[in-house]
Amino acid sequence: MAQDELFLGAIAEFGPALARLAAAYEADWDQRRDLLQDVKLALWRSFAGYAGQCSMRTWVFRVAHNTAISTRLRRRKLGLVSLDELADLAAADDPEATVGNAHVLARLQAMIRRLKPPDDQVMLLYLEDQDAAAIAEITGLSAGAVATRIHRVKQLLSNRLRQAPGQQGEAA
Amino acid sequence: MKDLKTAWKAQQVEVNAMTSLVEVRARAAEVEAGVRRRNLALYVYSAASILVSAWLIARGAFPAMRYPMVLMVAAHLMVLWQINRRIAARRLPADLGARPAIDFHREQLERQAHGLSRAWLWYMLPFLVPFVWELGIMLHRIQTGEAPPEAPRLLAVFVVTGVLFWTAVLLAFSRAALKARLEIERLSALQAN
Repeated sequence: MAQDELFLGAIAEFGPALARLAAAYEADWDQRRDLLQDVKLALWRSFAGYAGQCSMRTWVFRVAHNTAISTRLRRRKLGLVSLDELADLAAADDPEATVGNAHVLARLQAMIRRLKPPDDQVMLLYLEDQDAAAIAEITGLSAGAVATRIHRVKQLLSNRLRQAPGQQGEAA
Repeated sequence: MKDLKTAWKAQQVEVNAMTSLVEVRARAAEVEAGVRRRNLALYVYSAASILVSAWLIARGAFPAMRYPMVLMVAAHLMVLWQINRRIAARRLPADLGARPAIDFHREQLERQAHGLSRAWLWYMLPFLVPFVWELGIMLHRIQTGEAPPEAPRLLAVFVVTGVLFWTAVLLAFSRAALKARLEIERLSALQAN
């Protein structure tokens, strides 16, 4: 029952990260739940073939992101943009850019939903505190490309999530 | 930025969805049941299509169109089989964790682009052959005076409708295939950097 044990171990360790991934990709509550269940089912199935090819963390995030890609392709979501395009869309004087703490997460999720792969994956993994090497291994981008994207993600986040007076430091 | 990551990780999300093996197996069974239901619907549609056409042919309705009608039924069945095959191939592979996201994404797009760019072969051609055959029979009957007086007008309507419909289908498939190809190129360029 190695497959079952691996699954339970992965869920114990990465369950919250998977739930955050589903929440980032799907705004609708039912679709979010469906995606999370699809990810977990794919994960359970995948462990039948897991023999330590990569770290557990890389395996879990790859399964999760690949399942999310498949769902997004099925839904043919339109109007996705790159990190650069998203930065251009945000005018510096955008009144919505000054946000309260309660809205930061919602805006982060909205940004991720608008991004094309693999920019959405890089931002999500960056927020999950994965380093550039781990992100490169999960996404398949080169370490240099990941570093460039992380730099853009940081710029984008600090421009788009400026805090309201009295909440300085949140996005600094 | 560290605070932002902390806030991200501290967000309230539903983490308790499907955490036990019983629930996972139930979900797997649910997915399989969905596949069986879809297959059943395709089989019922195919059977109904065959029965109606066989009944029309047997009772001698439209005798001149007998063979194109048989071909039209075969076209329906072939397209259904192709759709079923392509949906089955769309199921997530078991080795999802072995492939980086960008490789998996490109594979999915390549499969999609391949199916779309060959749609004229597997989706359009099976219907077009009997359709053109039927039009040919109608034209022949008009020329030999066997057709009723309203036949030329009906033929014109058929031709115009057919051309418009199939052109729209071809354009839709081609546009979707082109978009997939452009996305593949974008991903390849990203990976090459």
